[in-house]
Amino acid sequence: MTRTFKHIVLALIVVIWVLPFVALVTTSLRSETASKTSGFWTAFTPTELGHRFGTHDRDQTDPFVTMSGNIFERLNGDKESFEVSGEVNSILFKGRVPDPDNAGKTKLIKQLIYAGEVMDVRDGEFVFQSNGDFTWTFPEATAPKPKNLDAFINQDPVFGTDAYVEVLFENENVPNALISSFIVTIPATIIPITIAAFAAYAFAWMRFPGRDWLFVIVVSLMVVPTQLAFLPVLQGFSGIASWATSLNAWLTDCEATQTCQVASKSFASLWVTHTAFGLPLAIYLLRNYIVGLPKELLESARIDGASHLKIFTRLIIPLSVPALASFSIFQFLWVWNDLIVALYIGSADSADLVFPIRLQKQLGTFKDQLHLLNASAVISIIVPVIVFLSMQRYFIRGLLAGSVKGG
Amino acid sequence: MARVSLRGVNKSFGKVDVIRDVDLDIDNGEFVVFVGPSGCGKSTLLRLISGLEALSSGEIYIADRPVMDLPPSKRGIAMVFQSYALYPHMTVFHNMAFSLDLEGKSKKEIRERVEAAAKILQMEHLLDRRPAALSGGQRQRVAIGRAIVRNPDVFLFDEPLSNLDAALRHDTRVEIAKLHRQLDATTIYVTHDQVEAMTLADKIVVLKDGEVMQVGAPMDLFHNPANEFVAGFLGSPKMNFFEGVLLSASEQQAHFSGEEFEVDGVRLVSTTKRNGDPIKLGIRPQHMWLDPNGSVTGTVTLVEQLGTETVLELITQQGTPFRIASPENVEVSVGEQASFNFDPNSAHLF
Repeated sequence: MTRTFKHIVLALIVVIWVLPFVALVTTSLRSETASKTSGFWTAFTPTELGHRFGTHDRDQTDPFVTMSGNIFERLNGDKESFEVSGEVNSILFKGRVPDPDNAGKTKLIKQLIYAGEVMDVRDGEFVFQSNGDFTWTFPEATAPKPKNLDAFINQDPVFGTDAYVEVLFENENVPNALISSFIVTIPATIIPITIAAFAAYAFAWMRFPGRDWLFVIVVSLMVVPTQLAFLPVLQGFSGIASWATSLNAWLTDCEATQTCQVASKSFASLWVTHTAFGLPLAIYLLRNYIVGLPKELLESARIDGASHLKIFTRLIIPLSVPALASFSIFQFLWVWNDLIVALYIGSADSADLVFPIRLQKQLGTFKDQLHLLNASAVISIIVPVIVFLSMQRYFIRGLLAGSVKGG
Repeated sequence: MARVSLRGVNKSFGKVDVIRDVDLDIDNGEFVVFVGPSGCGKSTLLRLISGLEALSSGEIYIADRPVMDLPPSKRGIAMVFQSYALYPHMTVFHNMAFSLDLEGKSKKEIRERVEAAAKILQMEHLLDRRPAALSGGQRQRVAIGRAIVRNPDVFLFDEPLSNLDAALRHDTRVEIAKLHRQLDATTIYVTHDQVEAMTLADKIVVLKDGEVMQVGAPMDLFHNPANEFVAGFLGSPKMNFFEGVLLSASEQQAHFSGEEFEVDGVRLVSTTKRNGDPIKLGIRPQHMWLDPNGSVTGTVTLVEQLGTETVLELITQQGTPFRIASPENVEVSVGEQASFNFDPNSAHLF
């Protein structure tokens, strides 16, 4: 009973998490029309959609008695993707026909014509089959004007990668954002984890006065909200930047080319800020892991003649791989998805914008082009997924097996 | 190979004195066992010698050098831990090579020394394995091997056998004894197991509450315990104690008057007791024998047939429990009365 209940809850949680992702991926793979006109859940089953096609093939002007063609060929003539296929249900005929009430006059009618029925189009008999073949027959050879007809087609599911091609290759915004995000995220992950590992070892295994108090202070820094620190941090950066600018002017001949200005908002300022805000949690997590390593192991290393640095590099680091991996995933995700810090501290130069800011800007430029927005979103999700899957092998169970008793 | 001397060694954790005024001399190549109940400070004393703990006061000399201010690696010691403490991410070879590698020895020398140590312990075939792929006994060998490659003046063992099962414990004990003869290095060995202490030691140091109770050769301690604690701690089953009064206190020929029996000509161990003082008579279960005219009489409460010997648990009429260990089969059953005699020369007065 409780088992079933647990399974249901579990399944529910999985659905809640997976469904939006499925929606995102599906929508990004659909055509613009499809994504605008129907929900993603209709993408997997045949759906009735209206398509306008022209009766004439391109440059067809010669007179004829019978024209035969295929609605799908007409529709897909100049398409490279999202080709329409399926069954033609009906055609909505819209046009003027002789008025049976007023002889000599015509009237505008709208009528649904089904497959196999005869339809009067420009005085010719237009008949179509559900597979799309149609014939248009006239009593004598004529060259009628082309007519656009609206066909309701029970359309087969169709997917394409056009949206991805468009966001990735048609302009440089998304590729630039990808590169910028990597430039920000990789150092902003490696720097704090390096510092934190050293600090964590010191907090766990070195004796120095005030160690516990210092640790409490570091841990309590976790509660400082990022937003609270923006103003002082920005002031600090602009102070450093103006100092660097004067140094630049003093040491180099940049004044001639007017290139002395050092930006206060840059990738480097993002690295420093992310490092600062990531450190408390990193130190806390790593310290708690490292303090749990067997004491005898470190004592044995001390007897073997290892210094603190050697113990750190030869024992602590190899044995802390799972903790290091889990924190690096954590920090990578946090920095990769960060919008607010990048917005305040990062460079505002269009080429240097990170992915979340680019996505936010796309909301303005693409407006209702859901397939493009979703394609960008999927690209930004894929990177953390790859990082997570590739780090997974470092979550090794039983790393300490065989080291101490009972292991 | 070196002498180890401890002079007035004290250690306290906060207000708790764990080691009190220990003076000890360990000779070249001697196998010394620290033994005592848990919490007696024997491991702490070992850690003080190794340098893992700092002294509160006192002096320690290894090879006639004061080592109080030296780090563990500079004291010329190697230690084998109870929990093995192998480096789990390194192969057996690298576990053993770690200290040599840190000393900056050449690859060739490291290989030679590790292989020599592995050969002594007959574990050349294990060198490429990781600790996780070893059995408990093999891990213990690696831990010992790690100590051997360092070629130390003094080997320190901290209860090295207590994580092994009974059969393996015996084998490893025999091997450690052999190894000590082979290497002839000064060895300090901590254990709470008196069998290990009796079989391995050249010299036993019995500790209680951080104080040395008695130092001496195993048989010396067994036959001439310096106090009630040592007498009760060494020997299995435990020594029997009968309460009574001291009637004449001459050096070797004291007269004891118990509640149920009197005996003359017993060795008086205590130096403070006077005539008329209450005193305890200690006699080992092995030194008493069945005798219908014997002076000690009791009711059998338990019979344990161990094959090699029979252990009887009895209780006197006054309610003092005592045990008899006899190498022969004793035909008594629970509830029966039995009388025993003993040789006053093998008894002690505390």
